[in-house]
Amino acid sequence: MSAASVTSFPRRSPPTILVVEDDVITRCHVCDELRARGLKVLEANSSDDAFAVLDRVRVDLLIIDIHLPGSRDGLDVARFVRDRFGPTQIILTSGRPDAPRIPDLDDVGVFVKKPYLVEQLLEVVSRRLNWPSASDM
Amino acid sequence: MSTISETLDFQSDASTHTILVVEHEVLARLVIADYLRDCGYKVFEAANSDEAVTMLQAPDVAIDIVFSDVQMPGDMDGFRLARWIRAHHPGVRVILTSGVERSADIAATLCEAGPLLEKPYAPQSVVDRIRQLMAKAATKP
Repeated sequence: MSAASVTSFPRRSPPTILVVEDDVITRCHVCDELRARGLKVLEANSSDDAFAVLDRVRVDLLIIDIHLPGSRDGLDVARFVRDRFGPTQIILTSGRPDAPRIPDLDDVGVFVKKPYLVEQLLEVVSRRLNWPSASDM
Repeated sequence: MSTISETLDFQSDASTHTILVVEHEVLARLVIADYLRDCGYKVFEAANSDEAVTMLQAPDVAIDIVFSDVQMPGDMDGFRLARWIRAHHPGVRVILTSGVERSADIAATLCEAGPLLEKPYAPQSVVDRIRQLMAKAATKP
């Protein structure tokens, strides 16, 4: 079968996303836009809260700031998700200039540099989840 | 049983109001925030009073009601948050909730801070309170 004959259909049931971000304005804005696209969105403001949610809910995508308050940082949460929940997609964000040089960053997830346009993040989400983007809706 | 027109009225009422849920216990916050969204409200979430104040001060965010836990870590508990809202955003209605019995007595002396809902609460009771508050606000001259 040729690659051209394979069609990837958008998924039907809304995926669940956990957004972990300690900047409340950014978090609410991102979550609001994701919900407006029909996605199920959970939010947490620290690594501790993220672990509490992950302990109870299986998520399809984790969007997490690398630098977070709490006993562990966002990268720890992302590595935990990668190791424990393999199929879960991961998007890492950070505004720190040294963040892209984290050695295993690409192994953990897709990196989106802050500040980002929400539309830019939404496009990455659509691609990772095979979920219609704003332009498809 | 509600009629179709009553249901539509309720949904249109809900869709015009924005609720800020302030609760530091993340799982409790997710449950009530989700329930309120399912009821048609636009809902923002804050994990503590500092986040709530930031949201209330954001120029492009219009919040109608704050539903806040009384017990919260940090300098500002739910009572202090309610007083701050009354001083800085008098048009925003506040509903407080607490699992501590004594809080109800304190809330009674702070009637301007709004009625207190005892924890554990049924999610529908939060919706009932919201509707009561907004109905009362609508009848004020």
